[in-house]
Amino acid sequence: MSESLALEGEALASPLVDKTPRQGRSAPHSGLFPALLSRLPAWEAVALWAVLFLAWQGSTYFIDQSANPLLPGPRIVAEALWESLPELWKGTVSSFFILAPGYLLAVAAGVALGLVAGIVPGVGRGLFPFAKVAAPIPPTVYIPYAIAVLPTFHLSATFVVFIGAFWPVFQNSAAGALAVEGRHRDNARVLGFSRLETLVKVVFPASLPHIFSGAAVGLGFSFILLTVAELFGANAGLGRFVQYYADFADYPRMVAGILYTGLVTWLAMTGLDKLRHKALFWVR
Amino acid sequence: MSNAAQTSATGLAVDNVSFAYGEGDTILRRVALEVPEGQFLTLLGPSGSGKSTLLRLIAGLEAPTDGRLAWQGATITGPGIDRAVVFQNYSLFPWLKVEDNVALAVAKAHPKLSRAERREKARDYLGRVGLADAAGKYPFQLSGGMQQRAAIARALALEAPVLLMDEPFGALDPINRGKLQDLLLEVWQSTSPRRTIVFVTHDVDEALYLGDRVAVLGASPGRVLAQIEVPFERPRNRARLFASPAFHALREDIAERLDADVLSGLAAA
Repeated sequence: MSESLALEGEALASPLVDKTPRQGRSAPHSGLFPALLSRLPAWEAVALWAVLFLAWQGSTYFIDQSANPLLPGPRIVAEALWESLPELWKGTVSSFFILAPGYLLAVAAGVALGLVAGIVPGVGRGLFPFAKVAAPIPPTVYIPYAIAVLPTFHLSATFVVFIGAFWPVFQNSAAGALAVEGRHRDNARVLGFSRLETLVKVVFPASLPHIFSGAAVGLGFSFILLTVAELFGANAGLGRFVQYYADFADYPRMVAGILYTGLVTWLAMTGLDKLRHKALFWVR
Repeated sequence: MSNAAQTSATGLAVDNVSFAYGEGDTILRRVALEVPEGQFLTLLGPSGSGKSTLLRLIAGLEAPTDGRLAWQGATITGPGIDRAVVFQNYSLFPWLKVEDNVALAVAKAHPKLSRAERREKARDYLGRVGLADAAGKYPFQLSGGMQQRAAIARALALEAPVLLMDEPFGALDPINRGKLQDLLLEVWQSTSPRRTIVFVTHDVDEALYLGDRVAVLGASPGRVLAQIEVPFERPRNRARLFASPAFHALREDIAERLDADVLSGLAAA
């Protein structure tokens, strides 16, 4: 038994290195068990979730649930969440049509401009000093102005999401292009690549690790800006849902909205992380 | 001395080339070499002799501070697909399958081929270096020796008349190194006309086993100490060659020149 345990430990530690089937070893579960184990979160993480949930549940013993408390218990919030699901879903769709165009446009523009600035010295000399000044401006300050200037709320919110995601993607892409190893450049040159070929076939893939870091930071910013923008002037959406029920002091729905928004954000981040994992299989 | 730039119109010419990085130390001082078409030249030298730098100059990856390099009479001003390069252990792009790495070179040699035709040709070249089965793998899935085979396949696929190799087998174990040396000779001898090869190494045996001629470089600054014709008939038999007195005499001769250079360098310092 101890032998099979050691094997499992080994398989967990190096899932990529050795994929040869271990034949002749008599551990019937050694194939399935490690695979299942590696998908489960660590027990410490499970424990933290359990403690937090129990604390929340425990709070209902001290807070009177009938007097619309600021912190409603899990059961009341779950009911509110269930009842609000159709509305929340509509809000998700509404938010998605702001987030997706703004974010995707920001990634496309940020990667293209960042890589070009990284490999064309003249463009870099022009853009980097400007980026140094413009990037640190908290994008939230654009919100009132964007709403005033642009014709629709949808357009202004999309613009703000774009700005929030653009700079991190731009800066990381440029850093990635500047950090492309000399050997990759040498190989591109001896293969007679043109500038465009070098950009598309060498600099872009070589910069992907940096690009994904920028894209993750940018996605986080996108969600912040989306929800903040919705607090200002939306008539639907996730941020607006929370704001709306807070105005009516409907705390169960408000907390449900916060939890739901957290879930959506986590799902988006996880999706990006999966994509990153897939695209960067070659990075050791 | 206005005739100094007169170089033979064919083959590779390195004409009094000096090189330094910026204001730094001189790496190469007045190096003059000629490699006739179809010749296998090995550049032998200790570290600090600038042999890799000389190869980068021929590849066009660096520009000389002084002097001129030319292929077939035309001055080398940058990299070109008439000169294929194999680096020590980093010729392949890690994000592409081996066959797609090779197909990049095929696309340069045959721009009109379709994607499928390029792949097929790339697999052909991989077959020639014994890697037919690894075509669909990624470089990180291959051993060092297999990666160098793939790098050779990519260099061959460029169909360049000049092949430049920078210690390509330096990181391999002795058995793999021997196998790849023989593979390289076999490929080189089986194509007609033969490629012109410049092969950098710090291994005297390798230089003598592979080369038609050995250019021995000294260190600090790098310069040509001697050019030695290797008189052994091809195809060469490794075991018999390494046991022959003529081989040992030549080996001894080169070792003595290198030792003398190290000693004079120490005396000067």
